[in-house]
Amino acid sequence: MQSDIRKWFMKQHDKSPGDAKAPKPVVPASQPNKSGSAGQEASGRRKTSKYFASDEKEKGEKETKELPTKRKASNVGNEQSVKKVHKIEDDDEDDDDLVLAAPTKTSIGASPNKKLKGASGRGIARKSEESDESDEDDDKTRKSLKPVGRGRGGRSGPKTPVHEKSKDVDEIDDEEDDKSRKSAGRGRGGRGASAGRGRGGGGRGGFMNFGERKDPPHKGEKEIPEGKRDCLAGLTFVISGTLDSLEREEAEDLIKRHGGRVTGSVSKKTSYLLCDEDIEGKKSEKAKELGTTFLTEDALFDMIRKSNKSLTSPKEEKKALNKVAPSPAKGSPIKSETTSTEKGSENVAPPVKRSPLKSEAKTVQAGNFAAKVTSGTPFCKKSKQPADKSWLQWTEKYRPKVPTDLVGNQSLVKQLHDWLKQWDDQFLNTTSKGKGKKQNDSGAKKAVLLSGTPGIGKTTSAKIVSQMLGFQAVEVNASDSRGKADAKIQKGIGGSTANSIKELVSNNSLGLTLDRPHQTKTVLIMDEVDGMSGGDRGGVADLIASIKISKIPIVCICNDRYSQKLKSLVNYCLLLSFRKPTKQQMAKRLMHVAKAEGVKVNEIALEELASRVNGDMRMALNQLQYMSLSNSEIGYDNIRQRLQNSSKDEDISPFTAVDKLFTADKLRMDERIDLSMSDPDLVPLLIQENYINFRPRSLGGYNRSKMDNAKQSEEEIRHLNLLSRAADSIADGDIVNVQIRRYQRWQLSQTSVLASCIIPSMLLHGQRQTLEQGERNFNRFGGWLGKNSTLGKNYRLLEDLHVHLLASCESYMGRMALRLDHLTLLKKQLTDPLRQLAKDEAVEKVVEFMDSYSISQDDYDSIMEISKFQGHPNPLEGVQPTVKTALTKAYNKGSKSRVIRTADLITLPGIKKAPKKRIAAMLEPVDEGIAEETDGTLLGNEDENSSETEDLEDSNDAEKLQSDLQSLNRKGIQVDMDLKVSGKASAKKTPASRGKKNAEAADKKGGQSSGSSSKRKR
Amino acid sequence: MLWVDKYRPKTLDKLIVHQDIAQNLKKLVTEQQDCPHLLFYGPSGAGKKTLIMALLRQIFGASADKVKVENKTWKVDAGTRNIDVELTTLSSTHHVEMSPGDAGFQDRYVVQEIIKEMAKNRPIDTKGKRGFKVLVLNEVDRLSREAQHSLRRTMEKYSASCRLILCCNSSSKVTEAVRSRCLNIRINAPSEDEIVKVLEFIGKKEGLQLPAGFTPRIAQKSNRSLRRAILLFETCRVQQYPFTPNQAIPPMDWEQYVAEIASDILTEQSPKRLFQIRGKLYELLTNCIPPEVILKRLLSELLKKSDAELKLEVSHWAAYYEHRMRLGQKAIFHLEAFVAKFMSIYKSFLLSQFAAFG
Repeated sequence: MQSDIRKWFMKQHDKSPGDAKAPKPVVPASQPNKSGSAGQEASGRRKTSKYFASDEKEKGEKETKELPTKRKASNVGNEQSVKKVHKIEDDDEDDDDLVLAAPTKTSIGASPNKKLKGASGRGIARKSEESDESDEDDDKTRKSLKPVGRGRGGRSGPKTPVHEKSKDVDEIDDEEDDKSRKSAGRGRGGRGASAGRGRGGGGRGGFMNFGERKDPPHKGEKEIPEGKRDCLAGLTFVISGTLDSLEREEAEDLIKRHGGRVTGSVSKKTSYLLCDEDIEGKKSEKAKELGTTFLTEDALFDMIRKSNKSLTSPKEEKKALNKVAPSPAKGSPIKSETTSTEKGSENVAPPVKRSPLKSEAKTVQAGNFAAKVTSGTPFCKKSKQPADKSWLQWTEKYRPKVPTDLVGNQSLVKQLHDWLKQWDDQFLNTTSKGKGKKQNDSGAKKAVLLSGTPGIGKTTSAKIVSQMLGFQAVEVNASDSRGKADAKIQKGIGGSTANSIKELVSNNSLGLTLDRPHQTKTVLIMDEVDGMSGGDRGGVADLIASIKISKIPIVCICNDRYSQKLKSLVNYCLLLSFRKPTKQQMAKRLMHVAKAEGVKVNEIALEELASRVNGDMRMALNQLQYMSLSNSEIGYDNIRQRLQNSSKDEDISPFTAVDKLFTADKLRMDERIDLSMSDPDLVPLLIQENYINFRPRSLGGYNRSKMDNAKQSEEEIRHLNLLSRAADSIADGDIVNVQIRRYQRWQLSQTSVLASCIIPSMLLHGQRQTLEQGERNFNRFGGWLGKNSTLGKNYRLLEDLHVHLLASCESYMGRMALRLDHLTLLKKQLTDPLRQLAKDEAVEKVVEFMDSYSISQDDYDSIMEISKFQGHPNPLEGVQPTVKTALTKAYNKGSKSRVIRTADLITLPGIKKAPKKRIAAMLEPVDEGIAEETDGTLLGNEDENSSETEDLEDSNDAEKLQSDLQSLNRKGIQVDMDLKVSGKASAKKTPASRGKKNAEAADKKGGQSSGSSSKRKR
Repeated sequence: MLWVDKYRPKTLDKLIVHQDIAQNLKKLVTEQQDCPHLLFYGPSGAGKKTLIMALLRQIFGASADKVKVENKTWKVDAGTRNIDVELTTLSSTHHVEMSPGDAGFQDRYVVQEIIKEMAKNRPIDTKGKRGFKVLVLNEVDRLSREAQHSLRRTMEKYSASCRLILCCNSSSKVTEAVRSRCLNIRINAPSEDEIVKVLEFIGKKEGLQLPAGFTPRIAQKSNRSLRRAILLFETCRVQQYPFTPNQAIPPMDWEQYVAEIASDILTEQSPKRLFQIRGKLYELLTNCIPPEVILKRLLSELLKKSDAELKLEVSHWAAYYEHRMRLGQKAIFHLEAFVAKFMSIYKSFLLSQFAAFG
């Protein structure tokens, strides 16, 4: 098993080097032609809709006919872009690319074949070669095509000829193909995962089987063109149906990369509807209605290519190089530009020199100084600051100054504004007139609570609005609560913040004591109220009290409105929930900032950034600033790369982690460990609970109906094998866990995580299925916890029963023997008579039986509970309710013969309920047993340990008791056997009176040593 | 009162089965006036406990019967922290009985403390009676290795004031060291004939009409456990009297449930079924059936219906998973792993059979 696992991981890691190193003897020389014809084939499909622009179609065909060489050339170029897409998708490979690229460039002069092969997997490397090589390299370049073709084949379906060829090559090749096919799927799955959503990897059906979209028919067969960067700028696309060769996400990427915009539904603004077949859906109807131009995939490619052609890209000339002459455009500025965009990180040419980060941090600190009192002059400074001011953090520098600057939530800001505006009228004036009016207007709240995720401008809005209305904002945030800074500002109001707040809210002239005598209006901004914890005990309650007496408006700000801590506060506040701004809104603002900073960036890229940061404006700005340090020009790809891993820093819920482990493709080992370790207790349990539900993708054959019987059952066996191995591994994890917990061998925690999470999830890596009808296709919560606590409870019940049975002195059974052997009969003895005999007779019989074994009413219930099996009839089925009540009554009444010998059936003085733990330890400190009680008269008596005498002034049972007690007390063993000849119920009824009596008894006896025996009867 | 308890022999003389052992024990304690540490082992329902109680009665007389149940707490100072260990004990003036295995991995403290405590409270021998107390430890096989190690030292050190009677199902789980310090007494499961004899004795006492062949059937069904036989006997009595020769003997509730699981496994092998079986296993576990028992029972049910070729392999895996279950903590994981393994084996076996014939 071990070696298998290693293979799994080896494959993952070897993948990228494997691409380059694997020898590729077969040269598909005809490759370009083939793909060219494929393109033609596809172009035939264009006729499917008459709505397609005819001129474009003609053009496309013309191109293919007239310029076969050119087409080939562009194909080659496109292959690079395929490779590039691939590259972007796995950023771990990316590094290799860049490293590899450099040496190839330098050694190209020698141009050994090997080198070429090695490099040809890499788009960039080959490019340098292309531009530098002359026609003598014809052969070599052809060779170089081959692995590219392979790479493509990997992405394509198994029907591709290239793929078949490479299959012939050797096994490794085959495996890699599988791998890379997976990676093709990842373009979709990966994104879903990074969005933190349970998007099914590999995308088949996607999240919740949405849409049942088919795979593109010619998936991966066409080269994706590489065009000028902004060739699609200003155009809006809507994608509909299945495209010819691109997955939908790939198409989106392609469009976005070239500056186009992709929207979900057709509107007037839509420039093109991208679809290859007219599926008569809503989108196409709407598009026809609006007269939107239809566009096929090929046409899109052509559009992109066209843009490039006009630039006389060196790639296109490559073919020409071979046949005609060295290109004059070699080393042209355009080329260098394209290279630079491709190797985003290599390109370092920031136009503006920026001061070191340190000073920035300092200023930020100064700027954020706690509880600052911002002056209230609203001013509209346009954010076109000069570039020399760039030492400010952008989040501070471009903090909105007027409400219209705020991104999104305008209506909420308006609401806040109105509330604040009317505050004085509503509260101060009414209080002066009398309180009656205030109560009438119950809708008005004296405070407001802004809630929303971080970075969406809550604090900013609060400040801006108060500034606008001429309020002086006093901000108290979580950092102040224990800090001295705030107290100092409040001049002499020492002590806790609570004091200063109180002072502030109760004294509306406090503003006068500050430096600005003219601003009498103050607003208190309580930031981060959900952070009130720990040291701020009672903080929320105090805040509420403050709100009640406040003479100034209070604005509270929190992240999680539903936090438990704020439950009470919510009632006193006007609730305003800030929503995340849309990505368009954010992009607009970001654009504004970028312009002001002189950073070149297109809107699409910014939208991408906006959607990646999950609505957090602050984070978006920070990211943008960071990226601007290295690049003056930020493209879509930069943002994708930069933010690819940023989602990792989020708090991952165990459910997300489990989902990712099972479905996400191409996770690195450390990522897997991180996921599993996100909650090392819960994740294994979730895995264990859900692993059965996953159908491993390694089984293939998704479509079961196609398979014949034998193959299907073979698959099933393989599935069961995998399940069994996964179960083994989970069990391994359990064993390792014991070692960790029992012997504190925490160094094994990675092993445990590996065994209990990673291996099972790798074995059953695939799509989740439901096993039962009506089950939701989400990961269940681990059942073990619940079951284990039930188990614990039942064991306790069983132990109670066991003790009672033992105490009856009739039996010496062990606990397990009790469960395994006796319980069936006990159950029968206790229930059968109730079913079969007449009521009174039955009840009498059962009660007698219970008494003989000291089975209490509770024990009765536990016997029923423990011997109940799901799917089997309840043991008490068929017993009339009247009989049950009669039984309870009869038992409570008690009988003369009942002798209860265990301590827990006695209620102790001062303790209302019989303690769950059985008694011995408790009797010791009490120092006094329980008195006897005979119909209200106290007959309690104690036997002292030292003296062997005991006076049992008792009526019946006395002899028996006496002998018992004598034997027990003699040896100084602590005696706590309690005899009770009274029903539990009666004891329950009179706890207070009994308590008193016991106290009396205690007085009488006094000076008891530790052990004491007691009995009570009635 | 249940027949098991009603007809439990109170003295060594009254035993019907294991009469020879009883006589030896009697000689041991009467003639030598002292007895060594004893280790009783044998399958459940063989009569170990009955023998022990009868033996105690033989040594101490009737006062050994006067027992009380208490829940003792030991405060143990384990270096850095204090541990409270709570255990139910059954004690008379002469002996203390407990199952230290219940304390889980803290059993070692219990074992150390209880013996020392007993040594401290050494009985003052007034009437020339025994100068020692007896500690009866049940389920010694459940004791952790550490506990058994701590036991062996104290066993010798305090042997003057304390005798141990250990009781377990399998001596193989008791360490060599402990075993060598004890007189090992194996209590065999009573033969079916002996069981029949006992049942007939009870039947006579109860005045029951026993149809011919009825008691042997019970004996057969009882798996050579006398306790179970008597319980089954009484269950039948509750169910239906007078007896008929072909009367159905109701199985134990949990055994029935395990049998259902086994047939579930055999009828279908699929992830879905595995999932359902997990639910059922949980059900058994929460009903306090020990996982080892479940596994054992499940194995025997599965073996009943699987082909001879499979038997060896399946048994091997059952043993494998039982071992791992003891190493681990969450029994359900291991039970499930066994079921998954069996399904996988069985399915491929079926397929190969199918291929061979079809």
